[in-house]
Amino acid sequence: MSIGTQTASAFAPAKAGANVDPIFRQIRDLVYKISGIFQLEEKLYLMADGCGRRMKVLKIQNPRDYWELLTANASRDAELRQLLNELTIGETCLFRSQPQLDALRKVILPQIVGEKTKQVVKRLRIWSAGCSTGEESYTLAMNLIEESEGLLKGWTVEILATDLNDRSVEAAKAGIYGDYALRNTSDHYKRKYFSPFDEKKLQVRPEVKKLIAFSRLNLQDDSKMLFMKGMDIIFCCNVLIYFDGPSKSKVINHFFGNLNFGGYFFLGTSESLMNLNDKFHLVHFPGTIAYWKPSLKSGKL
Amino acid sequence: MTASLASTIRQRVERIETTPSIPTVFLPLLQLLNSPPERVRLEEVVKLVSYDNTIAAQCLRVASSPLFGLAKPPESIKGAVVSLGLRRVETILLTCCMGQAFPAKKWVIDPTVFWRHSLGCAMVCRKFSEKIGSRDGDLAYMAGLLHDLGFMVNSLIFSAEFTKAVEQACREQIPLHQAEMAVMGFSHCESGRALAEKWSLSPDIVQVIAHHHAVENCESAHPMVALVHLSDLLCRVRGLGYGYYERQMVDLVYDPAWAILLKEHRNLEGVDLVRFTFELDEAVGEIFQMVSTIFGATAGKA
Repeated sequence: MSIGTQTASAFAPAKAGANVDPIFRQIRDLVYKISGIFQLEEKLYLMADGCGRRMKVLKIQNPRDYWELLTANASRDAELRQLLNELTIGETCLFRSQPQLDALRKVILPQIVGEKTKQVVKRLRIWSAGCSTGEESYTLAMNLIEESEGLLKGWTVEILATDLNDRSVEAAKAGIYGDYALRNTSDHYKRKYFSPFDEKKLQVRPEVKKLIAFSRLNLQDDSKMLFMKGMDIIFCCNVLIYFDGPSKSKVINHFFGNLNFGGYFFLGTSESLMNLNDKFHLVHFPGTIAYWKPSLKSGKL
Repeated sequence: MTASLASTIRQRVERIETTPSIPTVFLPLLQLLNSPPERVRLEEVVKLVSYDNTIAAQCLRVASSPLFGLAKPPESIKGAVVSLGLRRVETILLTCCMGQAFPAKKWVIDPTVFWRHSLGCAMVCRKFSEKIGSRDGDLAYMAGLLHDLGFMVNSLIFSAEFTKAVEQACREQIPLHQAEMAVMGFSHCESGRALAEKWSLSPDIVQVIAHHHAVENCESAHPMVALVHLSDLLCRVRGLGYGYYERQMVDLVYDPAWAILLKEHRNLEGVDLVRFTFELDEAVGEIFQMVSTIFGATAGKA
């Protein structure tokens, strides 16, 4: 009798996702290939739920018919966009990714501050590209204020926050959030940086708002993109997933050009650049991935 | 490291045998691990597992855990070995033997955290091997599992100095081997090597244990050392590190180890590192569960 060795095949959790129809794994791989967003095996049920909601709208019973729709030329792009909307719905909140914030405060800021120490003007520029209703921008602003008496003492901090959608930009400027958006925000931050707006909502205080310049911007507008120079860090979470390959590639090239040497580019936590740019270095920080434009002195450009 | 320091480490490691008792099954187990899987007979493994009550109980417990979702928990050692598969049995045997050789009360670092890292690294090493088309998956797994052997040596025979190093690493959020160098003048790589040589582990494993933090110090470019080095880094940035935040940016593709591995395995170029990272995240839960099942209720008590 032989002894099975296959049961312990690494990275093949014995139970996770076991009850999910394998077609959703196929859809997961398709979504990753086209958009760069990856759904973990243990969260495959979210993929199934999202597909389920779309199937209900489309009055489709069988997941295989839905797969056909996602792969047929005529309907593919439109349906994929709808599905991505379902997959990213409700994801936006303040303090969405603590590992990104840790990387920012514990590794990146000390590095950038160290590299710029000899510059006369000590200025840090961060761009939240596709800022939606402002959650990420305010999270960044509050975290940078926390550093204002330490690492960033004497520094000028500017956050540019842009979105294609006018209504989102207006909502972002207002900075009013309910429980759901604030579910990851600690009492410390709520007390220090928010005022009550009404019985259920809090509003961001003016001293946080003044760090951020909100505006409307289309990332595919080449002439405007050329003017966004001198960034130290760019965040663009769950935005590029909606772009087709060539547009995505063009926007990423702009981001690379807009970053200072030694600057960093962050995507959403389950998103990948899919090798669309070979000048960026893929780098890991604890719990998060980023793309780095090497500094000139690193000799790695 | 000076020659006199190396000799001191070796002398102190020599004394390990007189302190804790190493389970009798350990040496036959090492032989088993060194033989090709197709030559391993079920009866031999069952015999080995049955020899030690603690190990037998642990195998049964893991085989019955929800991790495998078996309809009926195995009633015999033979049933447990069959349902677990050779690789898992090997892992359980090895971790149990180590656990017995190095009693929990003497551990400076949390054994649960240690095994999560070692097991995680072993899994990444094997998967990495598969991705790049290497045929050394089993060796890579073993190398990953044993690469940090020196931490156990340090816990046992350099306990006071090692405690200080761990404290410094946590406080300054720096890699543990750097803190070891600062406090002790050597790291787990040197002490692990001394023990690995004493135990006559295979030369490849000895090289991995000795150089996984500095591939450039290898006597010759060594793809297995490079593979373990990269896997170790990846584990440490994906929740399978040593239980504290390491302030570091890891650039795997531009690491010297990447170039060594690439020279040997051109397939490395096509590996989607981001997806590989996400896939590793999927395995983290299983690793946590596996370690806590192996160690049962004692897990977490250093």
